[in-house]
Amino acid sequence: MVMLPQSAKFIGAGLATIGLAGAGVGIGAVFSALVLGISRNPSLKDELFKMAILGFALTEAIALFVLMIVFLLLFAV
Amino acid sequence: MLKAPLEQFQILSLVNIKFLNLDFSITNFLLINILALTIFSSLIYLSSARVEASSFQKTSIYFNPNAWQKTIEGISEASAQLISDIITTDNQKYVPIISVVFNFILFSNLIGLIPYTFTATSHVIVTFTLSFSIFIGITIMTFEKYKMQGFALFLPANSSFFLALILVPIEFISYIARPISLGMRLFINLMAGHSLLKVIIGFAWSMLLLENLTSLGLILPMVIVVILFGLELGVALIQTYVFVILTCIYIQDGS
Repeated sequence: MVMLPQSAKFIGAGLATIGLAGAGVGIGAVFSALVLGISRNPSLKDELFKMAILGFALTEAIALFVLMIVFLLLFAV
Repeated sequence: MLKAPLEQFQILSLVNIKFLNLDFSITNFLLINILALTIFSSLIYLSSARVEASSFQKTSIYFNPNAWQKTIEGISEASAQLISDIITTDNQKYVPIISVVFNFILFSNLIGLIPYTFTATSHVIVTFTLSFSIFIGITIMTFEKYKMQGFALFLPANSSFFLALILVPIEFISYIARPISLGMRLFINLMAGHSLLKVIIGFAWSMLLLENLTSLGLILPMVIVVILFGLELGVALIQTYVFVILTCIYIQDGS
C-alpha cells in the first residue's frame, strides 16, 4: 500500500504527541510534592515555590522537545 | 492553510540596504529590539524618583519613593537576589551580564504579548546566540581557573574505575546538551504559545462568519483566549526566571 509522504507526516506528527503523557505526569508529581511540602512546613514564599517553578519549567522543557519534533515533522521534513 | 499560524514569525525587511553581498536592511526585528531598549531605558529614567536641582534647600536629599520606584528597584533586585543566592564566591562581578540577559528576555517577552508585534526571543537565532555565548564564556572561565583539572567536572566523586569509564561520556554529552536545552526551552515556549494563540483566534474569527445565532458562539474561543493570555503572561515571566537561574547554576558549577 502506497502512502503519500504528506499523509505520513501527519500521521507521524499525531503519533509523536503521545510523548506528552510523561510530561503531564511529571508536572503533576512536582506540584504534588510542593503541596505536601507546604502542608508539612508552611515556609511557602521562601524556597519551596521557587524550586517548584524551576522544576516545572525543566519538566515542561521535555514536553516542548516533543513539540519540537512534531513541528519538525510537519514543516521541515 | 497549514502555514497560517507561523506567518506571524516572518522577518520582513522594511528598508533594503545591501552592501557588498551582506544584508544590512532594516527589518521589523531590528525595530522591535530598538523598541525594547527604548522602553527599558525610558521606563527606568522616567519613572524613578528624581530630585529637582532648583529645590528649596540645596542639600535636601529627602524624596519619597513612589510605587514606580519600588517597581524599578524590584526588577533590578530580582536579578541581584538570584545571583547572590546561587553563586557563593565573588558574585558581584556577574551582576552586569546577568541583569542584562534578564532584562532583555523579560522585555522582549512582554512586548511580544501586545497584538501585532513581533517577539524577538521567539526565534532560534536569538535564544541560541544568548545561550551559546553564555556557555562558551562559562567554559572559558572554568578552564582558565582550573587549567587542566577542569576535566574533573565530568567525574562524580567516589566512583570506581569501571563506573567512571561509563559515566564520563554520559556526563560529557549532558554538558554539551546544556546550552542547547537552555536556548531551546526559551524559544519553543514562546513560539508554541504564540502559535497556539493564533490558532484559537483563527477559530474565533471563522466562528464569526457562520450563520445566524451560532456566530454568537464566538464568545467561547474568546474566553479561552483570555485565559491563554494570562498563561502567556505567566510563561513570559517564568521563562526569564528559569533562564537566568540556570545560568547562575552553571556559573556556580564552573567556579
